[in-house]
Amino acid sequence: MNEKSHLSSQFDEDLSSLRSHVLQMGGLVETQISTAIEAYSKGEVSAVKLIVETDRKVNALEKAIDDDCAHLIAKRQPAASDLRLVFGISKIVTDLERAGDEAKKIAKGVRRIYEAGQMPSQYGIGIRHIAEAALTMLRQALDAFARLDSGEAMRVIQADAEVDTEFKSIMRQLITHMMEDPRTITTSMDIIWIARAIERIGDHAKNVAEHVVFIVEGRDIRHPGKEQAE
Amino acid sequence: MLPQLLRGFLLALVAAAMALPVGYFVADWAGWSLFCLGLGLQMIFHFRNFARLDRWSRNPVVDLSLEGEGAWDGVFGRLYRHEKEMRGEIARCDEDIAMLIAAGQALTDGVVLLSAHNHILFCNTTAEAQLGIAITKDRGQPVVNLVRQPEFVAYLEAGDYSLPLTLRSERRDGGVYSLHIIPYAGDRRLIQVKDVTKAARLDQMRSDFVANVSHELRTPLTVLSGFLETLQEIDVDRAERDRYLAMMGEQSKRMESIVQDLLTLSAIESAPPPDKAPVDMVSLIDKLRRDAEALSGGRHSIVVEADGQGDLLGSEPELVSAFGNLVANAVRYTPAAGTIRIGWKATPAGGEFSVQDTGIGIEAKHLPRLTERFYRVDRGRSRDAGGTGLGLAIVKHSLSRHQAELKITSTPGQGSRFAACFPASRVIGL
Repeated sequence: MNEKSHLSSQFDEDLSSLRSHVLQMGGLVETQISTAIEAYSKGEVSAVKLIVETDRKVNALEKAIDDDCAHLIAKRQPAASDLRLVFGISKIVTDLERAGDEAKKIAKGVRRIYEAGQMPSQYGIGIRHIAEAALTMLRQALDAFARLDSGEAMRVIQADAEVDTEFKSIMRQLITHMMEDPRTITTSMDIIWIARAIERIGDHAKNVAEHVVFIVEGRDIRHPGKEQAE
Repeated sequence: MLPQLLRGFLLALVAAAMALPVGYFVADWAGWSLFCLGLGLQMIFHFRNFARLDRWSRNPVVDLSLEGEGAWDGVFGRLYRHEKEMRGEIARCDEDIAMLIAAGQALTDGVVLLSAHNHILFCNTTAEAQLGIAITKDRGQPVVNLVRQPEFVAYLEAGDYSLPLTLRSERRDGGVYSLHIIPYAGDRRLIQVKDVTKAARLDQMRSDFVANVSHELRTPLTVLSGFLETLQEIDVDRAERDRYLAMMGEQSKRMESIVQDLLTLSAIESAPPPDKAPVDMVSLIDKLRRDAEALSGGRHSIVVEADGQGDLLGSEPELVSAFGNLVANAVRYTPAAGTIRIGWKATPAGGEFSVQDTGIGIEAKHLPRLTERFYRVDRGRSRDAGGTGLGLAIVKHSLSRHQAELKITSTPGQGSRFAACFPASRVIGL
């Protein structure tokens, strides 16, 4: 892998297992999101329970990883790229945890819609599409983190614009629907919340990708113009 | 070794023999100088060969420039042969390894080799596509960093690999993989990834089929037993009883037609290939048109588009039932005043029988599953229309027994077109 050899191989192992934990947490969040998307298209109200259960694991992992990061800094005093890795990881887990929360929001929205006896699937194609796009972004961001590949991360950052555009077009479509037929407002509002949650997942994926660029290149590209010295 | 030593010694003796008279007759120093010159020349000769060997050893190539002089010739020759053999051996091993890798790549199953700590050592292109691994970048990476699904991580960590793990693909919509971890060479592991998408779909279809058959039969059965109970417990007058009995008769007919269709289907499945008797298409289509008009009762306009060219080879009853089914469907699902076109067109490339309607149409997502048994786009509507849910399954089966393909195109709200395309070998009389 990319880390330079350290005097202490134990340190290498610590860093490597920390990374694997982050990716394991990422895997859980990916599952949460894909479960939520499936719940939307198939109307499985029971998915909420599953996602909430996974959420508990995600939260526990977030805490454990943050703890590990603090311990690693205290015990090993990492420098340069290792320090960036530890910092980056502690930021990535925050974004991952929030992406998981968004998945929970999607599932709850789906439950509200179905419990009100409505079918959200008439907007299915648009929502499914944007959700797949956001999930792919997250998957690629995590792949980029596993490979410490800043090029792949940059592609994720560019993909976010597409998700944003798509979100806006869904919004316009729903607004038109609501104006034409006020009875659809309740359902449409729920769908807007779902679309919003998906768009946020895309943003979190983008953040993860930005942290990856920071870890690999030492550049903070979050807010252009504010170059952070290493 | 010994001859070389002797030769060196002899050369030194020759130098001494030449130096001795000079030292004796001319001067001491001249004799010594001559002796030293002789030894020096020998040293220079050896050093030149040594330098050559030194140069070669820094960048060994198999090349005839590796040639020594005098005593060195043998040494250089043996080195040359050794180097050549080693290289041959390496090339053979490389070839073997390349062949093994090529064999691994040729597998249609995905293969990933893992180290003792579950780091990726090798994977073939199938596995790369299935699991989203890029081996050039990911060699040495823990496999769970890339295949992150919690089920897989749990399976890998549990260490019980007696059963394969069924995993839904993240990267391919609807894909299902069966992963089997096989320990080998001590503590290494091999992941075998099988694409079981088709098998999973078949499983789904089979369980759907059983559920559907029981459901389809239970609905009329519930009605029957409900009426039976009523008749047993309550005294009803004659007119009421007749009405009940009529409804019960209807339901039992329904059940009978479902069972009949199921039997037809299984009969077609197990029957020998259909005979190749000529079927007169002109009279067949005429019969279809009359049937359609009878079923429609004048609510639709039935148009025949056929030029009377070409006949089919096959089993007439099966074709009549398949085509009749398509026409009946068109009549059922087309609102009044719609148009139904029955077409037959034979060309040297093959024949096409088609039924086009201006009916309600079918959404694209239903099309691939339309010929599944009991698959219904809209449950209530098709039962009201009197279908058993097996019609198209029977049609597809009869057609495929005639090597024909059923092509369905449809636009919701505008109508559908069902076409049976026969190969040229089934068409005669052109």
